[in-house]
Amino acid sequence: MKTASRIVGTAFFMTGYEVQDAPRYGAERRGAPIFAYVRADKSPVNERGIIRQPDLVVVADDTLVGMPAAGVMQGIDEHTVLLINSHENADTWRQRLNTAATILILPAREDIKDRAELPYIGSRCAAACAVLTNVISRDVFTSALAEELEQLGEKIVKQNLDTALTSFELMSPYAGIVKQSGLPSAADYQQPGWINLPFDDAAISAPAIHASATSVKVRTGLWRTMRPVINYEKCSGCWWVCSTYCPDGAINVTEAGLPDIDYEHCKGCLVCVAQCPPQAIEAIPEHLAKEQEMSAADPSGIKPPGDSA
Amino acid sequence: MLTFSRQEPGRRKQTGNEGIIMTSESIVHFHRMKDMPSSHLLGTGTPMCAGCGGLETLHNMYDILGEKTVFVNAAGCMTLLSVYPFTPFRGGWLYTAMASAPAGAQGVRDAMDILLQKKKLSTEDNMEVVVITGDGSAYGMGLSATSAAMDRNLNFIYLCYDNEGYGNTGQQYSAATPHAAITSTSKGSHGYPGFKKDLFSIWAAHRPAYVATIIGAEPLDLAKKIEKLQTMTGPRMLISLAPCPTGWDYDPKLSVEIGRLAVQTGIWPLKEYSDGKIKHTKIPKQRKPVEDYLKLQGRFKHLFEPQRDEAGIAEIQARIDAYWTRVMA
Ligand SMILES: Cc1ncc(C[n+]2csc(CCOP(=O)(O)OP(=O)(O)O)c2C)c(N)n1
Ligand code: SF4
Repeated sequence: MKTASRIVGTAFFMTGYEVQDAPRYGAERRGAPIFAYVRADKSPVNERGIIRQPDLVVVADDTLVGMPAAGVMQGIDEHTVLLINSHENADTWRQRLNTAATILILPAREDIKDRAELPYIGSRCAAACAVLTNVISRDVFTSALAEELEQLGEKIVKQNLDTALTSFELMSPYAGIVKQSGLPSAADYQQPGWINLPFDDAAISAPAIHASATSVKVRTGLWRTMRPVINYEKCSGCWWVCSTYCPDGAINVTEAGLPDIDYEHCKGCLVCVAQCPPQAIEAIPEHLAKEQEMSAADPSGIKPPGDSA
Repeated sequence: MLTFSRQEPGRRKQTGNEGIIMTSESIVHFHRMKDMPSSHLLGTGTPMCAGCGGLETLHNMYDILGEKTVFVNAAGCMTLLSVYPFTPFRGGWLYTAMASAPAGAQGVRDAMDILLQKKKLSTEDNMEVVVITGDGSAYGMGLSATSAAMDRNLNFIYLCYDNEGYGNTGQQYSAATPHAAITSTSKGSHGYPGFKKDLFSIWAAHRPAYVATIIGAEPLDLAKKIEKLQTMTGPRMLISLAPCPTGWDYDPKLSVEIGRLAVQTGIWPLKEYSDGKIKHTKIPKQRKPVEDYLKLQGRFKHLFEPQRDEAGIAEIQARIDAYWTRVMA
């Protein structure tokens, strides 16, 4: 996404716009949502920081839409265009999100199982932005993409370009649908809802943590694009393999001596799938697993036998 | 940031006397994989990458060391373990600059020793001080502070998780980067021209109480070594090869496979030093060709594509063969 924003930013710049583009991500090493912002205007852009009222929001991974931490829906109103890379259609999303924004779909490739592997997604999204705003020509887009991906070599630039240009065709019926809203004026500035805290001495105000293992409050299970599922009929109960090898220690052992994957925290690395001696752990796409869970009345089907929790 | 948390009662009973801390479970003795702990002390929900080999080592080590530990962490990936208000630890944690973790450990050890002496800290509440750094610190920036800590015979444990580069900042090469690996600062067609520094020997030359190499993919060997160093005092030094899907460019699910191949090909010898002697703890009977290890990793892809670089692969193999010839002589 960082690259997508750079391609769009560079393309706007080459078209004669003043541009800002900036990525934003947390301290996680990998796997957490990442955002990138692009601001473009014919006159100098004085606004800084995150975009509070976007004209266009592009979602590369549709599993993020429902994730509060990702904040995809923040600042979206009737003037916003929301483009989602998804297997599902715009009607489904309209119903699900109940939003006044215009929803468009960038059809997701059917062959993609693992969403961590979305191929050329950055270039496809960037091309879609170019069409929807209708100010970036195909030629300019091509040069911007080539410039940003140059270090990856000619072959990769070409593969990205070929795929990106299909977005040009796909999105052409909606060319120019994104309308530039006026820049917010300084007079409209609203202070964030900060709370002023009294000054405390270091013993109180230093960031000391007085509780054990608070990290369990962080649900790294949201990172997962593939879900390991244990088939307990095949599982031979050698928990010391998967539970020890799981880098995150996210495989617990039940009283009955069976491994039990903690989906709140499993990041989906699939080391367990690779290491399980009887190959009793299968990887299934997370979005399918979620759908199954939602349609099944009893989501506890994946709990180990004899475990009432 | 400093984290000091109260012990959870009943989880693991520990006894301590000045300097030496042993968990009651150190009587367990690890003979088989089945002896590995079935519940894990390190909290889940950390920001480490999916499939992180360093985290795998740490969680296995922590299970055995127990919660009466203060980790002194130099800047690197693992610093992100404790980002306020979250921590996976149950004991203490302290963040230091990249070059200074062993100096930080000295401060923590001294403070606790003074408190013990003044009877302001009971021997029950004494904690083991554990430095944890990446290879950027251990092999480079922090080597001087480490050397000095060993000179002073500081009573501490040092874990270097060696992902063979400056992982947290995007895998720039470090003194631990192996020959031919592509890093973000060695992008040429032949990768990194230098050779991995022999930190084990450098550390061992200081004659500390204990030095060992470990790896998360060999948990039993790891457990035995941790168990052993718990019976000792003084500097106890560990280097864990830490397969890193992000920096080494491979599918995270291969982390254990790649770690095991590192041992089976002989590129990562498992060994220990104590009392002036070096012992290899897991000698591969029939060493696999090193290319089995190399070809799974994107950072060595140029050795196989577009053409196979016979000379390049042979050079790496020859160095491994020479090492083992010396060992077996
Ligand atoms: C003196 C100093 N220089 C640079 C940095 C920036 N920095 C933070 S983490 C890091 C990488 C550390 O690499 P390593 O020790 O190998 O640990 P890893 O990131 O691989 O876990 C760097 C260079 C720093 N914190 N301090
Ligand atoms: S970059 Fe490598 S060492 Fe650092 S957290 Fe990720 S996998 Fe672990």
